Amino acid sequence: MLDPYLVFLILATTVLGVIIGVLPGLGATTGAALLLPFTLTMEPVHAIAVLATIYVSATFAGSITAILINTPGTPAAAATTFDGYPLAQRGEAGRALGIAVVSSTIGGVFSVMVLCIAAPMLARVAYQFRPPEYFALALFGLSMLASISAGGTVKNLIGGVFGVWLATIGAERATGIERFMFGNYELYEGLGFVPVFIGIFAISELLMQSEKVNQVIETIKMKAVKLPSRDDYKRIWKTVARSCGIGTFIGILPAEGATIASMIGYSEARRWSKNKEEFGKGAIEGIAGAEAANNAATGGAMVPTMVLGIPGSGTTAVILVGLMVHGLRPGPYLFTQQVDTVYQIFGAMLLANLMFMVIGLYASKWFARISLVPRQMLWPMVFALAMIGAYSLSSSLLDVWIALIFGVIGFLARRHGFAVAPIAVGLILGEMVESNLQNSLKMFDGEWWLILTQPLAALFLAFAFLGLCGPTIFRWILKRGD
Amino acid sequence: MRFLTIPGVIVAFSVTVIWAALQLELSPAMIVGESMQPRAFPILLMVLNIVLAGLLAFQYRSTPPKKIRQEGLHAWGSIALFVVFYLITIYVDMMIAISVVMFAMCLLWGERRIHVAALVALVTPAAVFLLFDLVLRVRFPRGLFTNWYYG
Repeated sequence: MLDPYLVFLILATTVLGVIIGVLPGLGATTGAALLLPFTLTMEPVHAIAVLATIYVSATFAGSITAILINTPGTPAAAATTFDGYPLAQRGEAGRALGIAVVSSTIGGVFSVMVLCIAAPMLARVAYQFRPPEYFALALFGLSMLASISAGGTVKNLIGGVFGVWLATIGAERATGIERFMFGNYELYEGLGFVPVFIGIFAISELLMQSEKVNQVIETIKMKAVKLPSRDDYKRIWKTVARSCGIGTFIGILPAEGATIASMIGYSEARRWSKNKEEFGKGAIEGIAGAEAANNAATGGAMVPTMVLGIPGSGTTAVILVGLMVHGLRPGPYLFTQQVDTVYQIFGAMLLANLMFMVIGLYASKWFARISLVPRQMLWPMVFALAMIGAYSLSSSLLDVWIALIFGVIGFLARRHGFAVAPIAVGLILGEMVESNLQNSLKMFDGEWWLILTQPLAALFLAFAFLGLCGPTIFRWILKRGD
Repeated sequence: MRFLTIPGVIVAFSVTVIWAALQLELSPAMIVGESMQPRAFPILLMVLNIVLAGLLAFQYRSTPPKKIRQEGLHAWGSIALFVVFYLITIYVDMMIAISVVMFAMCLLWGERRIHVAALVALVTPAAVFLLFDLVLRVRFPRGLFTNWYYG
């Protein structure tokens, strides 16, 4: 962790992550997808530290624009606008940003500490997993797509199934039979994750942003960021503590991310507050609740990503691909065979949390101005980065076309209310679902129902069922009660 | 009937995939054993997708989807520029294609200062190209510019 190059890299990436977070439309996921090709020649630990730092710092930076221009830089900062912007309008932008910075840092540091403790413990449990457990776990991860923020249950599941299908393109692992390649042998190893991610996250966002070029952005002026006063701390400490727990727990759940965490953090802050009437008008508990929760989710989301190979959010899906590209196999063995690497990544996240606090306190004012970069200049630059990045991983033009095609698919999907993150998660989990189903069938001589006799697998499947049908059953019970 | 459009597209796609899957080779029983044929899993997924599309149609029937605002010139024009990018990359050079498309995209999206658009379209690809070439050692596909650059 004391490697000076790594420390420098984290500092530079924190600044870059904050810039990505404040730029309109660019968020942690798009930023990480665009930067992944730049990490190709780095040491694995440096590369993953870069991606993790982007995740942490861009998630925080979304609050800067949420407070100063009423536009969340990232979806996770949407709840911050509810009270952050009204407080800024009252001439207290510095106070609002100070509370956001401190709450985010506490949330982020807390979640990294939980990550350091929970990940090795979960890894120990995961050693016992066999194909039936992994199959059930992957299904559980996919079922959680139903409740992610954008889209709706059915639409998210359709996206997830489409993603899993994309993972079947190429030669089937066990038999070598070519599937859906249509004579294109460059697809023998399957669709590359990186070009698909660049397409569905960066190019589709470019097309979405093309319709917003005429939006006028006005920033609220402020003098300096103010650290919370003693009275502020007294008012928010319980909210921050609660949101740390909520955010970390939500983050740990497969496929759930910072956006849901911040919404729940905000609504819980409101529910427990003595000043409910202030919410929506500039309540500092609202800012603290949302910000502590969304940054706490970052560390939580890394737990299933690194221990089980199941991404906890869109950005961790990109980080997971980063791990694979750099030859690190996510899973419990990472914690015995690459233990130094794992803890260096955790350390990098901790350091990034502390660095964005310093940057947030002293430079938010300047970073907010970056958000005023005209879209008609920013997004053509993103196009150049996306095309060169898509090409560079395998030096293949096919990857460039794949990025463009998936950009258009992602755009059309989003236009009709489908989220793109389920496609990414489905693509990553696809191979895990199919290969573990095949191995389970071999284990049980083709009698698939014997999967249900495995206690852990049955537990995961029960969770998956609850994840899918729980809300409907709950509503039905409530209706009957009425 | 508007509520059937999106579910209809999903069903049509799923049926096409099922048809394509049924054309796949069968693996000998001694390799597959008690597991499943390579075609089985995609078919299973698409059957699931058809069921989900049915649910979506049911949802749309009770709560019709919001009318999609028609995108203007910017989005469809940008997609058209992707086609231009493809053609220039194939027939001329990838880096030149990126510059041309960036320049055209700046203007399409409303940049009125031609010199600014030109500067953005020249400096960004040049900087990224040099970074990938000199630092990351990525070789770009041969074309008009790269033939001159690589010699």
